[in-house]
Amino acid sequence: MDVGVRNRKNKASPKSGKKTKAAEGGQTHPADTDALKRSIEKLQHLNENINRDSGDGESAPDTPPPETAPDSSPPSTPTTSPDDFPDKKVQSSPKATRSSQQKKARNSAKASQDTQPPLKLSLHVDGMSVTLFVVSFLTRIWRLDSPRGIVFDELHYGKYAGLYMQNTFFFDSQPPLGKQLIAFAAYLAGFDGGFKFERIGTPYDAMVPVAAMRMVPAFFGSLLMPTVYNLMVELGLSHYTGALAAFLMIFDNALLAQSRYILMEGILLFFGLFGLLCILKFRRFYSRPYSLPWFGCLILGAASLTACVCVRYFGIFTMLLGIGILVRDFWEMVGDRMLSERQLLGHLVTRAVIFTTIPVALYLSCFYVHLTLLYKAGPNDNIMTSAFQASLEGGLASIISNQPVKVVHGSQITLRHTHGRTCWLHSHDAVYPVKYADNRGSSHQQQVTCYSYKDVNNWWIVKKPEKEEMVVTEPHEPIRHGDVIQLVHGLSSRALNAHDVAAPMSPHNQEVAAYIDYNVSMPAQTFWYVDLLNADATEGNWHAVESQIRLIHVNSSQALKFSGRQLPDWGFRQHEIVTDKIIDQEDTIWNVEEHRYGKTEDKKEREKDLLRSEMIPLERRNLTYWSKLYELQYKMLFNNQENVAGHMYASEPLDWLFLKRGVAYWISANSNAQVHFLGNIVVWLSGTVALLGYVALFVVYLLRRQRSCYDLPESAWNKFCTVGEILGIGYAVHYFPYFLVDRTLFLHHYMPAYVFKICLLAAMVEHGHYLLSEYLRAPRLARAYLTGVGLWAASILYVFWFFSPVTYGTRDLTANEVMSLAWRDTWDLIIHKQ
Amino acid sequence: MSPEIKKTRNTQKSSTSQLTLDKAFMKYRQCDSPAVWWAVFGAVCLLTAATRFYNVGQPEHVVWDETHFGKFGSWYINRTFFFDVHPPLGKMLIGAFGYLTGYDGTFPFVKPGDSYEGVSYIGMRVCCTAMGACLVPFAFIIVWEMTLSLPAATFASSLILFDIGLLTLTQYILLDPILLFFIMGSVVGMVKFHAQRERAFSGSWWGWLAFTGFMLSGSVSTKFVGLFVVVFVGLHTIATLWDLYGDLRNPLSLVAKHFLSRALGLILLPIILYCAYFYIHLTILCKSGNGDGFYSSAFQSQLEGNSLYNASMPLELAYGAEITLKNARTGGGYLHSHIHLYPEGVGARQQQITTYSHKDFNNKWLVKKWNEEPADWEDEDEPIELVKNGDLVRLEHVPTGRNLHSHREAAPVTKRHHQVTGYGENGEGDVNDVWRVEVEGGAEGVPVKTVVHRLRLVHYLVGCALMSHNKQLPKWGYEQMEVTCNPNVHDPNNLWNVEDNQFPRLPNSSFEIYAPNFIEKFIESHTVMFQGNSGLKPKEGEITSQPWQWPINFKGQHFSGGSSKIYLLGNPVVFWSNLAALLLFLFLRLHFAYLCKRGSLCSPADVGMEARRDRTLGACGWLALAWALHYLPFYAMGRILYFHHYFPALLFSSMLTGVILDYLFESLPGLVPRYLATTVYPTLTGLFYSTLAYSFYLFSPLAYGMHNLEPDWENHTIHKMRWLDTWEF
Repeated sequence: MDVGVRNRKNKASPKSGKKTKAAEGGQTHPADTDALKRSIEKLQHLNENINRDSGDGESAPDTPPPETAPDSSPPSTPTTSPDDFPDKKVQSSPKATRSSQQKKARNSAKASQDTQPPLKLSLHVDGMSVTLFVVSFLTRIWRLDSPRGIVFDELHYGKYAGLYMQNTFFFDSQPPLGKQLIAFAAYLAGFDGGFKFERIGTPYDAMVPVAAMRMVPAFFGSLLMPTVYNLMVELGLSHYTGALAAFLMIFDNALLAQSRYILMEGILLFFGLFGLLCILKFRRFYSRPYSLPWFGCLILGAASLTACVCVRYFGIFTMLLGIGILVRDFWEMVGDRMLSERQLLGHLVTRAVIFTTIPVALYLSCFYVHLTLLYKAGPNDNIMTSAFQASLEGGLASIISNQPVKVVHGSQITLRHTHGRTCWLHSHDAVYPVKYADNRGSSHQQQVTCYSYKDVNNWWIVKKPEKEEMVVTEPHEPIRHGDVIQLVHGLSSRALNAHDVAAPMSPHNQEVAAYIDYNVSMPAQTFWYVDLLNADATEGNWHAVESQIRLIHVNSSQALKFSGRQLPDWGFRQHEIVTDKIIDQEDTIWNVEEHRYGKTEDKKEREKDLLRSEMIPLERRNLTYWSKLYELQYKMLFNNQENVAGHMYASEPLDWLFLKRGVAYWISANSNAQVHFLGNIVVWLSGTVALLGYVALFVVYLLRRQRSCYDLPESAWNKFCTVGEILGIGYAVHYFPYFLVDRTLFLHHYMPAYVFKICLLAAMVEHGHYLLSEYLRAPRLARAYLTGVGLWAASILYVFWFFSPVTYGTRDLTANEVMSLAWRDTWDLIIHKQ
Repeated sequence: MSPEIKKTRNTQKSSTSQLTLDKAFMKYRQCDSPAVWWAVFGAVCLLTAATRFYNVGQPEHVVWDETHFGKFGSWYINRTFFFDVHPPLGKMLIGAFGYLTGYDGTFPFVKPGDSYEGVSYIGMRVCCTAMGACLVPFAFIIVWEMTLSLPAATFASSLILFDIGLLTLTQYILLDPILLFFIMGSVVGMVKFHAQRERAFSGSWWGWLAFTGFMLSGSVSTKFVGLFVVVFVGLHTIATLWDLYGDLRNPLSLVAKHFLSRALGLILLPIILYCAYFYIHLTILCKSGNGDGFYSSAFQSQLEGNSLYNASMPLELAYGAEITLKNARTGGGYLHSHIHLYPEGVGARQQQITTYSHKDFNNKWLVKKWNEEPADWEDEDEPIELVKNGDLVRLEHVPTGRNLHSHREAAPVTKRHHQVTGYGENGEGDVNDVWRVEVEGGAEGVPVKTVVHRLRLVHYLVGCALMSHNKQLPKWGYEQMEVTCNPNVHDPNNLWNVEDNQFPRLPNSSFEIYAPNFIEKFIESHTVMFQGNSGLKPKEGEITSQPWQWPINFKGQHFSGGSSKIYLLGNPVVFWSNLAALLLFLFLRLHFAYLCKRGSLCSPADVGMEARRDRTLGACGWLALAWALHYLPFYAMGRILYFHHYFPALLFSSMLTGVILDYLFESLPGLVPRYLATTVYPTLTGLFYSTLAYSFYLFSPLAYGMHNLEPDWENHTIHKMRWLDTWEF
């Protein structure tokens, strides 16, 4: 767009904006027009139906002068005061009264400018945006339902969509919005979730609406193109540059693949960039604060950026970038002396309120949908606490539904380690070895472990020390917060004991055992305090499932703890239980999961009772949305997922710069048809070069400016800086965090940063042209340059076409053809052995 | 009234009249003569020495990490090679301190709490403490140079002086006093060098430049966290150079000269010194020790007592040779097999292949061509054929006669990889026994060399590469390490090297010619160190300290148990006022930036005040940057963290507090009624010092040792000092 908007300080006259625009489009880049138009024409060959008239990127000639025309005037010209609206006038400010005369005049002038009623909608079609969208959409939906097999992470996302259909709970450490969109499409297409997503490559059966599900990323991935185009224009770059950036993205094989299959990147990128676009558009309405479009941009920006976070947590970086831009713009606004402090405060508060309420509301509602839809027990339940599981239909709920709530003397319970690894306090008929491998001795008493599976040996009986018989007596004797109890192992009738003996794997902690009286000088220390963490919620009573407890050993004041270490073979590789003097930690928290009242005193009977412990399913328990959300969030953020170290197609952030490795997405079972995730190497490497070029040029300009050599005119320099500020920093915040991430990374993690890199590349192409034509004043060179750009674009198309078989995966390839695609020896394309 | 001020007063005037007291106070505030400066500085130093060296020999047993660093010191004295994740300078200094003060290196430092009976450990403690004591005067100098305000310097240094945590941390044989010494020394050098800016290229200018470089090299060579101070000094240098460069009066040649001299002093000199420390380290440690296993075969051949030392064998690998193969990653074992089979249900029931860290007859493999049996060693007529890069080979396990074999079955632990087995009888196998030898970075057809070359063995049919890693097999595999065939050929764990090579028909040559030179050893030590560092991950269920806990003094660290308990905990008064000062600084910074942006920052009435404000904000800005650089990166670190990692940041934070306090106390009189104005400053100062000193007195048992055997232990005041439940003393 015009230079005036970008440079508020360059006080061009209010109407010059439009003129400059015309001038820039029509005259300053005559050569530009040629070559770039050629590349655009290429796009249009693909879609002849689109009206050629509207393809030049300027607003369509037949539309009325758009509402935006007055806005494009430089906002902070002295004559344009931000408080145009009489109702916003600050009465007390002397400045306001002084300028009210002036203002009236201005208001009338403005009224004559836009006589439209305040809520008029004027439709205005941007031909270039539409073209880009259509071309992109066509490339994405071409033979969308093939390959008809599970492509890479469709395994997960398809499965999640199926689980949504079946209302079955699943656990994923990324937020749900993207999955919900796909599930919604699948729902509309009539998917019932009956398909089992088992392995990558499994063919879909007829029930799976592959095309509908793939349509979601394809649609969002195509919307990305007009967004990028407008974003570039909003940054002050020419329309051709915007179109070039979109062109590079349309014909990049990596972006194509990511937005063609059921993957999250297309959605993620669209929301992120659209949010940024809104925030940049927001700048335009500087002179009309609190107007409808002003609010529109701000709210839409906040919503879109939040959506980006709701697709994947990594989107938080995009959001931070957006907020950063807002903060920076606000800081510029602080320098505007025309604004009173109260107005500034008003602006700050409005922005802050919008950028807190909308994200919070959107985020919560997306989880609300998630938790409301998924009410049935499913395969990932174990990771959640008993209380959470009990709230799901058919899972734990079925087991514990009719069990008593209050834990009393004589209760038979299983004790679950609440957070972190799922396991139950367990003991079995084996003792600690006399000597460990490192020559330490043990107590040689019965082992107590934490066992990750349901087992009859997980049952314990709660006993008050002063009572002998282990049955529930009438009246019940409830156990309350602070009571002292003993825990007797159900099958072996030995009491949970701890003493000053070093634990097998954690010598700094005490060993926990089920006490066997060897009649040596080792007295039983089997008393434990019950410390309820949420005593208030249950009025001090110990409740099954709900209460989270710590068991504090009376003699040593240490807490029963899951140490996280595994016992060796003598402990059957179960997990170690110890007591620890550091009480306040997560691994000391336990809860009762299964619970019933013991009825028989007879030991044999009791054992029999324990051994047949099947229950009949009933209905679910209710847990409030907030406590479910809290728990789910906690698990999502702090659950250390198992790290698939050394995955065959994993790559390092540094490899991404040069496209060192791709990812095999899918291979046909009986031919060499395959999908291999690879970018368009020409775009890729040019992007890296452009990035380095930008940094180098920036340093050179900066060094020269510091010595007072101003090579670029102020406006060009500002444009150059804006590009770096938004695209360069955007690239950095989406790329560098990966160096700190401690998990397996794949090439597709680079996509968000890559999009910024492509934009920067397009901007650098324009800057190169600018340098040649304006700084060096060499029109011939400039023309040659444009020809070069045209050739380069052609080579991009060629490479795109060349690699399209492994992007679309629709065509069988011979071994030689596959070999011919492996341009680098680190690209491991797959060839079936005959 | 603080001790310093009292001392100042005493040295100045012994009279107690109000007038002279005020005068002395004004002298102190304005610092118009060097005598005043030296008097205050001297007082600070005296107090430092008194607090640091009090009870320095207590407790008379190994405290906390002394068990490591004392051990390292002993190893330097005994010249035994070891492995540690930190660079050597700090440990070398400890070794040197011990050596110079008569410690003979025989004490084993087994575990904390071991009594030092008859061991001359005092020397090492005193030297470490002395280095730690320098922090206080260093802080004094830094703040003085940055603000030219004597009260600010005194505030800052006394905050450091009266911190219990720093006192505890700098009293023992640890790396921390040394590291902190070098870090603060670097900053002293930086400010002193900056102070010489009007006398560029003079002797003192060069002197301070070299001093800074020396200190920088010291901090990096003690622990890698010393890099943060390098970044800090680097940024400061860039900022000064940028100003020099932007001043159009300076010709470019002068700017270049400035740039080059700084590059020399702050980049080249530290690098040279850093390498020199490593050179000394590698030269001193020439005997085999427990660190050998972390290093490559070539490296080990340089250590006296190692089995590879002075070994001689054929340089090149020929068909028919008996070899051992060592996984080339850090701590990799030897390719091993034994007569036991994989159990039922674990892939094919064929002979197990593992890696094993000890030398054993079962590690021997015979190299054969892929399609023919090798000739006998005695058969002199057969030509000798060398194994070349890209050749197809079979490897036969010498004791059992089975070939190294792989096929498309899941590996026992890492299911995505293929199983590797021993297959066949007496060397007769099948086509799945064929492996292609690839020399890493070697040209096609290069003969494979023993020890020096790193090889990849790629399975000919499946296309996967032989790999080993740290995952252990279950009991059936004797808990040896798993060997798999990895479909990802480029995995760094796929590299192996030939270690033993027996082939009598080739001439033996000594490995002296392939002995790694200093550069190679230097590089290898670093890769090993970095791997070791990244291996320090918290295990499941382990509690580690979190960075957010540090500035609020959330939780301490046990240093010593037993009869005299020592607990590393900061002085809460210091920590919490540091936090407040940081927030205050942030507020002031924003406030002034806002006023400036609004154009309403004008106080032409008081130029002095404005200069003072700029100086304060400037100094605070740099100190806050240093604090952030020494603190924030810990959030991004995956390794185990401890409370004591915060102390470098604490130093900068304390100095910032000193500067801010001074600014605040100077500004306040202008804000209160006139009749109070004269008394505000002295009152506040007095209040500050008395609070600080009293809190030091209260908490000092944490550092000097809490004797729970004392009769009134149960009623000891320290029990009442548990202000936070998380403090565990």
